[in-house]
Amino acid sequence: MEHLVQLMVIGLLEGGLYAIVAAAIVLVFKSTHVVSLAHGQIMGFGALAFWFGLVQLKLPLLMGLVGAMGFAGALGWLIERLAMRPLIGQPLFASFLNTFAIFLFMDGIFQLILKGESLSFSAYLPRGNVSLMGATVSVTQVVSFVGSLGIFVALALFYKFSKMGLGMRATAEDHQLAQSTGVSVRAVFSAIWVLSSVTATFAGLALATVIDIHYPLPYMGIKGLIVALVGGLESLPGALVAGLVLGILENISAGYLDPLVGGGIKEVAAYLLLLFILLVKPYGFFGLVRIERI
Amino acid sequence: MWRPCGVFDETYEKDMAIVRTPLRWAALLASLLALGILPQVASYHLISFVNNVAITVILVLGLQVVSGYCGQISFGQAAFMAVGAYCSAILTEKMGISFWLAMPVAGIFTGIFGLVGGAPSLRIKGFYLAIATIAVHFVTMWLILHLEITEGSRGLTVKPPQLWSVSLDTDERMYYVIIPVMLLMTYGAKNITRTRVGRAFVAIRDNDLAAQVMGINLFYYKLLAFFISCFYAGIAGALWAHLNLVVHFEQFTLLHALWYVGMLIVGGMGSIPGVFFGVILIKLLDELVMVVSPILAAWFPWLGTAPAAGLGVTAFGAVLAFFLIKEPRGLAHRWEIIKASIRLYPFAH
Repeated sequence: MEHLVQLMVIGLLEGGLYAIVAAAIVLVFKSTHVVSLAHGQIMGFGALAFWFGLVQLKLPLLMGLVGAMGFAGALGWLIERLAMRPLIGQPLFASFLNTFAIFLFMDGIFQLILKGESLSFSAYLPRGNVSLMGATVSVTQVVSFVGSLGIFVALALFYKFSKMGLGMRATAEDHQLAQSTGVSVRAVFSAIWVLSSVTATFAGLALATVIDIHYPLPYMGIKGLIVALVGGLESLPGALVAGLVLGILENISAGYLDPLVGGGIKEVAAYLLLLFILLVKPYGFFGLVRIERI
Repeated sequence: MWRPCGVFDETYEKDMAIVRTPLRWAALLASLLALGILPQVASYHLISFVNNVAITVILVLGLQVVSGYCGQISFGQAAFMAVGAYCSAILTEKMGISFWLAMPVAGIFTGIFGLVGGAPSLRIKGFYLAIATIAVHFVTMWLILHLEITEGSRGLTVKPPQLWSVSLDTDERMYYVIIPVMLLMTYGAKNITRTRVGRAFVAIRDNDLAAQVMGINLFYYKLLAFFISCFYAGIAGALWAHLNLVVHFEQFTLLHALWYVGMLIVGGMGSIPGVFFGVILIKLLDELVMVVSPILAAWFPWLGTAPAAGLGVTAFGAVLAFFLIKEPRGLAHRWEIIKASIRLYPFAH
């Protein structure tokens, strides 16, 4: 029983990170109806910028954080301006494929920068462990979990109350209608890419403390995509719930099933969950069910 | 179907023919002849390049059927190729079956496996399905890595196929196997597109609800599309395994699957010649990167000693984004435009 609780605590902390990756993807989908693979790379580059600031330039922690987020915001803006904006009005599927072209483009650059090494900035972060219900976890993990919950609340408030957030919700409904009521669709697109990139960077930093900056880091974006699909692509609460569920599920299945099947179940738990959920609820936990007409 | 003026089909046979005009017959025979004498004149490197292209063409033809014609985007093609490669390797090495039987069996086995992989397409579509096929990819690769029979991360070594007493152990000898299979598979794919099945696929791609209303059995045809696509992947995998003589799970990553979809987009969705254009262009790009990257590495030392992998992916991503933005219908569409302008010369329209 104690083992189970420990696994759940660790899973919960990891799930928070998945949820925040998914939040970035949900943000883009909510406003533009494009599913983005590119955010995995933005995560990677944000973490890289943070590493550069912290380790190479020896910046203080907070400045490094702000710098990395600023860099990622600029990157997101650039991607939207150069690659996504020409596809406004084209079939949405072309935009989706374009995000995966961007993913590949940036993946190559990421590999060129890393040259097969793995970079770590853990040494520059505050150390220490805390004991949570019997499980020992590092302070950075707890901080990033709390931070991701904070980001969730901030995003939810932003969507609910700010004028830009309302404009984004209007844009998601219908581009032409939103434009005719005075919402600048282009500005919304730019803003959402910047906002989601900053969110993704936070996720990238938090993940990089766990798995280091290494070539698989951008591929965590795919896991975020899966969490977003399981939770429902339009739903921020869905992303949070699905992220936590996935984190717990992964750790419990790894803890109990690995001895039976010979290890590695953690890698596929997410994909099995996705396939199962898509067969039972094709639009995820809280996604909007679209009724199609001919 | 659109026909250029001056070309009249007087019988149904003529209307349905795959090779429709004398000029096309001439072009077909000339290219067959060129393929036949290529091993006599070409260097070893060129032959292995052509082999590689031909196997990829088979694979992407399968993807064209399921994605280009039936509209179900699949990122699982690399995993399905792995299934075919492992299946044929196990059949020939562990069960002692001849390669000539193992190849079609591997194709059919992969096809049946693909029915499982394609099952989500019955509930979901669009990017939901695309992500689901990514999930299928990872689950498949996990199975390959953890099953006993596939020998996990060690991979399998394969003996070259035997034709009577000749061992097909060089690229030149395998060329005479791969190219006929590729031609056969191309004919098969081209043939599917003009049949009832092909028209059903196109109807599903254009609007699956409308297709269902017209009496097309979505369940049957979507699974059939996945079966055909995975059959192609299985054949390609079997050839790949017996060309490289080693099967390893790292030969079939998600990145490979992304490349195959990219080739399809660059070539043009819904066009058989497009497959050839896309595969050849991307493979040539790869070769170009191989040639250019040492030069770049010498000029810019910060690129590191081996920038080819990273540069290749970057160049591919850039080409893909360029095509999606500037020419979403791919090279096949550009080819049609070129043909029309040649036909109309010296007039502009």
